[in-house]
Amino acid sequence: MKATEFIVNALRKQGVTQVFGYPGGAIMPLYDALYDGGVAHLLARHEQGAIMAALGYARAGARVGVCIATSGPGATNLVTGLAEAMADSIPVVAFTGQVPSALIGVDTFQEVDILGMTLSCTKHSFLVEDQNDLDRIIAEAFTIATSGRPGPVLIDIPKDIQLAVMANETVSELAELPPLDGLVDEQVAAARALLHAAKKPVLYVGGGVGMANAVPELRELAAALDIPMVSTLKGIGSADPEHPYYLGMLGMHGLKAANLAVQESDLLIAVGARFDDRVTGKLDEFAPHAKVIHLDIDACEHNKLRVANVAITTDLKLILPALKMTLDIAPWRLHSLEMKVETAFRYDHPGIAIYAPLLLKQLSASLPEDHLVACDVGQHQMWTAQHMTFTQPENLLSSAGFGTMGFGLPAAVGAALARPDAMPVVVTGDGSIMMNIQELATINRAKLPVKIVLIDNQRLGMVRQWQTLFFDGRLSQTILDDNPDFVALAAACGIPGETVVVKEQVQPAMDRMLASKGAYFLHVQISEQENVWPLVPPGVNNGEMLERYDEC
Amino acid sequence: MSAKQVHDVVIEATNTLEILERVLRVIRHRGFRISHMNSEQMNDCNNIKITVTVSGERGIDLLYKQLDKLFDVSKVSVQHITTI
Repeated sequence: MKATEFIVNALRKQGVTQVFGYPGGAIMPLYDALYDGGVAHLLARHEQGAIMAALGYARAGARVGVCIATSGPGATNLVTGLAEAMADSIPVVAFTGQVPSALIGVDTFQEVDILGMTLSCTKHSFLVEDQNDLDRIIAEAFTIATSGRPGPVLIDIPKDIQLAVMANETVSELAELPPLDGLVDEQVAAARALLHAAKKPVLYVGGGVGMANAVPELRELAAALDIPMVSTLKGIGSADPEHPYYLGMLGMHGLKAANLAVQESDLLIAVGARFDDRVTGKLDEFAPHAKVIHLDIDACEHNKLRVANVAITTDLKLILPALKMTLDIAPWRLHSLEMKVETAFRYDHPGIAIYAPLLLKQLSASLPEDHLVACDVGQHQMWTAQHMTFTQPENLLSSAGFGTMGFGLPAAVGAALARPDAMPVVVTGDGSIMMNIQELATINRAKLPVKIVLIDNQRLGMVRQWQTLFFDGRLSQTILDDNPDFVALAAACGIPGETVVVKEQVQPAMDRMLASKGAYFLHVQISEQENVWPLVPPGVNNGEMLERYDEC
Repeated sequence: MSAKQVHDVVIEATNTLEILERVLRVIRHRGFRISHMNSEQMNDCNNIKITVTVSGERGIDLLYKQLDKLFDVSKVSVQHITTI
């Protein structure tokens, strides 16, 4: 048995049924084994599309994403996806072909030191030196990708190793993960004491909740505490959006009530969150009166940016139930509710031009219950986080920590394969979609019913917004008024669509899109002057948000 | 500029080809400068012991945890030397 046949068997043993990739010279032996190996392969049209699809597959379907690329440029095209997976803790195993062992280090055609290049954006990486190590390496790669805080693992395999014959053809049985340490009674007692004493506590929910599969535990805790809650971008969907004291996303483009509650709070319970700069604004003025309970599976996050009064490194499924109690915080609940009501978004936008926040609110209300939304990066991403409603974290796929333009379209491809019963939707912008536009051809090839909503302001909108606000309106390289004809571009890839330009066209067009059986491209033209509000400007605390009325 | 702490850090790890790069990269990226370094194979040849003297303005605990998290690293110990 050749090593590549063994690799495919090992993937099947790991439960892998779908991989993503792009063939090339140094990975041809593995592609030969995939030809009839019993694992489905989706051909992207660029290696970055392949890895983003694997990430979408992993995040939407709560499993490991697997992607494959050849050596050299194939491997380097994966790098952005690996970094994305590192930033957002997404379990992915990437296989790269490498030039034959004897030719490594002599500048061979399509040779690059991908292991050296990706040390900083993988959780771990392997260069296979002996085919008989593959059994151990693949098992370790999947364990590393999924255990603790998930992340990307790279396996680089020289071509001669791929072609070599295995001494042992049997894939080892999967080892069970060692159990995590249990809770420490003193830490739990300390956290409970802080919680019990708090008058203005806030639950600060991050992406770790969904990754830990701890959404039920979080919601049970929130119900017991009846506590104001805020969410990071990746945490959206974890808290029940119907909970009366759920205040929405916090941070730079967070909801005003969420930011004000955190600034006023006397206790923050950070759950699977990491005090990211887009969350905290000016760090030393973030939640200035709050003590901190920090719950995370990764000890590296504790005391990194904000010193915690109690830091607990554990599985969230264990710790969250241990914090249930009744809180005596009626005035704080009432105050939070008043802030939520007083600062709620308004959608009475004047004029006939399409207002993206209203469109996204309409879209959210129109989607079938089983849906997922993949975003790109920029203004539309923030509007999606602010104005759409998500009931599960795996229903919103957004490049949060890394901010990778071009994520949305291929992520939706992978997500559509992970969750074939869910309606896959992409919300993207005219800047972002061009970063991986070639994946329209993948959607057509795989006949995936992806509904693409392109919010087009003929600008790199978020950068344009900052240029307007903070760079004296000098619009350097952000005007895209020569964009391609997007509907024609989609049509060229076999995807029907239409353009809407005024409010009254939106709902009928959206209905046509949602009723269509296959992929659909809804091109939405909006004013280039729309900004994302609120906004915490750089260098100030989250209590000093700019709002729409500050525009004039 | 705030005071820099100087520490000796001893790292025991699997002796893979890239282990030095992996460890040194983390030290640099997390904000520490190396003034002295030694690396030697341990008795069984499968493991390596890396001793570094590092200085930095950030808490050494942050570096300790980042090194300890590396898959190949089996043990990290830290000793405070001086403040500069």
